[in-house]
Amino acid sequence: MVRKKYGKNEILIGISCTLLSISALTFYIWHQTESIRIGYEIGALEKTIQILNEEVKSLETQKAALLSLDRVEKIARQDLELIEPQEGQVIYENSEPAGGNNKR
Amino acid sequence: MRQFVQNKFRQRTLILALILSAWIVGIFLRLIQLQVIQHTRLKAKVIEQNQNKRDVLPRRGTIYDRNGIILARSLPTQSVFLTPSEGESLAQEMEKIQKLKPILGFTEADFDRIQSRIRKGDTFIWVKRKIDPDCAQRTKSLELSGIFLQEETKRLYPLGKLASHVLGGVGIDDEGLSGVEYKYNSKLHGKKGKCLILRDARNKEYYIEILKEAEPGQDLVLALDETIQYIAEKILESAVRDYQANWGTVIISHPSSGEILALASYPNYNPNNFPPSPEEGLNRAISYNFEPGSTFKIITAAAARETRAVNLSDSFDCREGKIQLFGSVVRDHKLFGILTFPQALIHSSNVGMIKVGQQIGENSLYQTIESFKFGQKTGVDLPGEETGIFRPLNTWSKLSLPHLSIGYEISVTALQILEAMNVIANKGIWVPPRIVKDISEFPEEAKGKSAEPQRIISERTASELAEIFEKAVEEGTGRAAQIPGFKIAGKTGTAQKYDPALKEYVSSKHLASFVGFVPADKPVLSMIVVIDEPKIGEHYGGVVAAPVFREIASRALRYLGIRPQNPPAPLITAKLHSEGSR
Repeated sequence: MVRKKYGKNEILIGISCTLLSISALTFYIWHQTESIRIGYEIGALEKTIQILNEEVKSLETQKAALLSLDRVEKIARQDLELIEPQEGQVIYENSEPAGGNNKR
Repeated sequence: MRQFVQNKFRQRTLILALILSAWIVGIFLRLIQLQVIQHTRLKAKVIEQNQNKRDVLPRRGTIYDRNGIILARSLPTQSVFLTPSEGESLAQEMEKIQKLKPILGFTEADFDRIQSRIRKGDTFIWVKRKIDPDCAQRTKSLELSGIFLQEETKRLYPLGKLASHVLGGVGIDDEGLSGVEYKYNSKLHGKKGKCLILRDARNKEYYIEILKEAEPGQDLVLALDETIQYIAEKILESAVRDYQANWGTVIISHPSSGEILALASYPNYNPNNFPPSPEEGLNRAISYNFEPGSTFKIITAAAARETRAVNLSDSFDCREGKIQLFGSVVRDHKLFGILTFPQALIHSSNVGMIKVGQQIGENSLYQTIESFKFGQKTGVDLPGEETGIFRPLNTWSKLSLPHLSIGYEISVTALQILEAMNVIANKGIWVPPRIVKDISEFPEEAKGKSAEPQRIISERTASELAEIFEKAVEEGTGRAAQIPGFKIAGKTGTAQKYDPALKEYVSSKHLASFVGFVPADKPVLSMIVVIDEPKIGEHYGGVVAAPVFREIASRALRYLGIRPQNPPAPLITAKLHSEGSR
């Protein structure tokens, strides 16, 4: 049995092909891994956005509850000791007279 | 010797090959048995064990008032459920539930329900719905097998009792059960989605796939104004308490658009604790029929002038203070002299208005009542509206004409009377009432409505009556409704109530009401106030209901920035920010 001798060029081509294949494979694996990692990141960020949106909604609802007129009136009357203005104690600026146009 | 060894080796190889072949055939046959013969049954069992298709509930739409204030909103919450594990006994399952008791606070009824469902072999059992985030966290930290948390939504009404009868409420599955929550349920609810959950052998979720996305519900903007609603509810509640009345209701509308700015009924309830008791839950503004008494004289007056059966200068002898009617007697609340037609209305004389009715005649009065849409729903976009009771002409007795002339022998809702007054305010045009600001967003709901504005009486008749009702507040029975600086048109009503047990009208039970609009010449607000059986002081509409109208209207007008026509002195300057953000 005679062992075939490869020339320098052939060896170079062989090594290049091997390296190219390994590089392509490495790139492919890296690409896949990155895609998955970015996918996870996007998923996590989307989840965060969703949670923050829910939080905004929850805070808006809390704000509405805190600004409820019942609560505001209690604070105004009990803590700040405010009272209703008496008849004739208010005049209106930039408003329509009765019978004129109004915001409704 | 070598030959012998070779034969022995071949023999053993053959035996081993046969055993292996038999083993392979055995495996093959078993595979056929499992994969082919028992395929259907086993596949179903696998799916039952490790797959679970579950509904994904959509997010219910938010309800806003006309200025964008949140009246109802759904927020995420957690619910606990159990999927009994294969091979675990009832006692083992109940042990897990027992561990959750201090966190979730079960009742005996909850235990019995869960136990009976495990016995039945249910694969999905709610343990506790819509729990606090803290309870959810503590439940999760126990890491009990077969116990899972599912995200759901909980309906919140941040303003508590405010507008409870308009909003209604939802059940545990977020289905609208009353009010606009029920009326617009299909729009608010959205569409359910579906998800597939895969579990491992230990019953832990390892894969969730959304098979169909849930479609969130549409938001709803009501015509209601939070501030006007609040003013109406506060003052109504205080009036009902002060007069120790059974109940009261107030409706405020914008006459020319038909938009209902406030609808209050007391007793009310907190929709966060739905369902309420039947007493609290009844929306008396639209779901309660009553004999209106003198507020119905609006219709008699409209018929009198529209048919020209009575002239403005016609006078009626009311000196006796009573009138005999086929064996029964109807009295005035005080002695009058000879009254003209406008005076009979201004002072709400029963005798005068019965005589007016007699001049109108049965046919004309019947047609006018019918044209004002009594005996039929107004079409307001709220569930549970009553039609009232208006008997056909051929069933009328001799007493029907005089009785109807003063608001008896007919049952109405508060909204129907307000709508009648709105016809006067709108110069003869009837405008359908509505709760949702823009119905065009909901074409299917709009389809069912009788919905177009229509002329009921002439502009001339409406203007004449508006002037008379303005005088009724200036110098008649409605004086307590006066607001300094504003022209108000209104009519009082004091109806004796019929006692079904005694089968007669009793003098101790009354229904006091006032209906009117302000400013009389270009109305911004129209309002009806009804107070049932006031027990403290006088029971007249002019004494009980008219002051409620005044209190609510004066505050609402100030809030709306409507300047008085003749501002009273002394004055303190203040600046109004009507578009302020909250």
